[in-house]
Amino acid sequence: MGMYKIIILVFLMVFNADARPISYSGGTTIMYKSDTFNDSIYLHYSPTYKYSIGLERVKNKFYKNTENYFRFTYLVNRKNTDISQRNLYFQSGVLVDDAAGFFYGMHGDWETRRWFSGFGYKDTKNTFGQDYTDQYIQLGVAPYVGDYGDLHTWIMIKTKKNSLTNTQSTYPELKFFKGPTLVKFGYSDKTEWDLHLMYRF
Amino acid sequence: MKKILLTLLLASPLAWAEQDHANMHDHSHEGHLHDTMVDGKNLDVSAERFDAFMNELTNVNVAVVSVKGMVCDFCARGIAKTFEKDKTVQKIDVDLDNGKVLIAYSKSKDINYSEIEKKILSNGQSMSDLQILEI
Repeated sequence: MGMYKIIILVFLMVFNADARPISYSGGTTIMYKSDTFNDSIYLHYSPTYKYSIGLERVKNKFYKNTENYFRFTYLVNRKNTDISQRNLYFQSGVLVDDAAGFFYGMHGDWETRRWFSGFGYKDTKNTFGQDYTDQYIQLGVAPYVGDYGDLHTWIMIKTKKNSLTNTQSTYPELKFFKGPTLVKFGYSDKTEWDLHLMYRF
Repeated sequence: MKKILLTLLLASPLAWAEQDHANMHDHSHEGHLHDTMVDGKNLDVSAERFDAFMNELTNVNVAVVSVKGMVCDFCARGIAKTFEKDKTVQKIDVDLDNGKVLIAYSKSKDINYSEIEKKILSNGQSMSDLQILEI
């Protein structure tokens, strides 16, 4: 067993033990993402606000194959203030049919009702082809500040880089959400459409 | 001496009236809510919002919860869902602008600071203050 897998297993065990006392039984979320590299559908359940477990089906457009991942995301750190929230997450996934394929990474965000900033890093170990990394940075502003239940709108700018395709692109995104539904899309000449749909129930 | 007695007589009804008002709980008067509570704290909830919230509600006590980290609709939705599970909760409103959650409880409910704090924490936010309005 490789060092990476041991580290991930230790993370999972430690974090699960830490999260167990928390009793909030949260919601289920379904996400659809599509960009130049992947199409994916991801269903996850959050037993508490600290972590989520789920299944993701990913169609890799580069290698033209489909993979299924067990996924685990853990909230490593959160800072709440009167006007902001800052989060740091650990994300991981392992192939359902082959534990040699997995990914792990971190993503974080800082948000007020007006401003948003975020970043992400993901390292994928492939069972075929090359291993690769994905990175992004994102900044956003809400053109108006909506009340609870209103349609919320964000104008964002995102820079992302993929080591496999060796592409880096910076492009604008629009994010809308109302109630349990979120729609986000962006477009760049290099990487074309970046679409993200989410529904929480 | 007569002056002192006269002053006391005149001042006493005012003092009673003041005390009587101070004993009253926060309430809306013809479309406006007292901005300052009896303990001197500001309520920070607009009169319009409070009156709309109280519309058609009777026989309730209202908890006004100040929440840290409630910066988006999704976070607030989680809080609302958590409190909706409590059968003594009659109505919930979220004031994202002021970071407040208004919860109308049945009169029979003994509103408990630590219980509300736990529910807010279980949703990933933190509670900074709780004001209880007995309507």
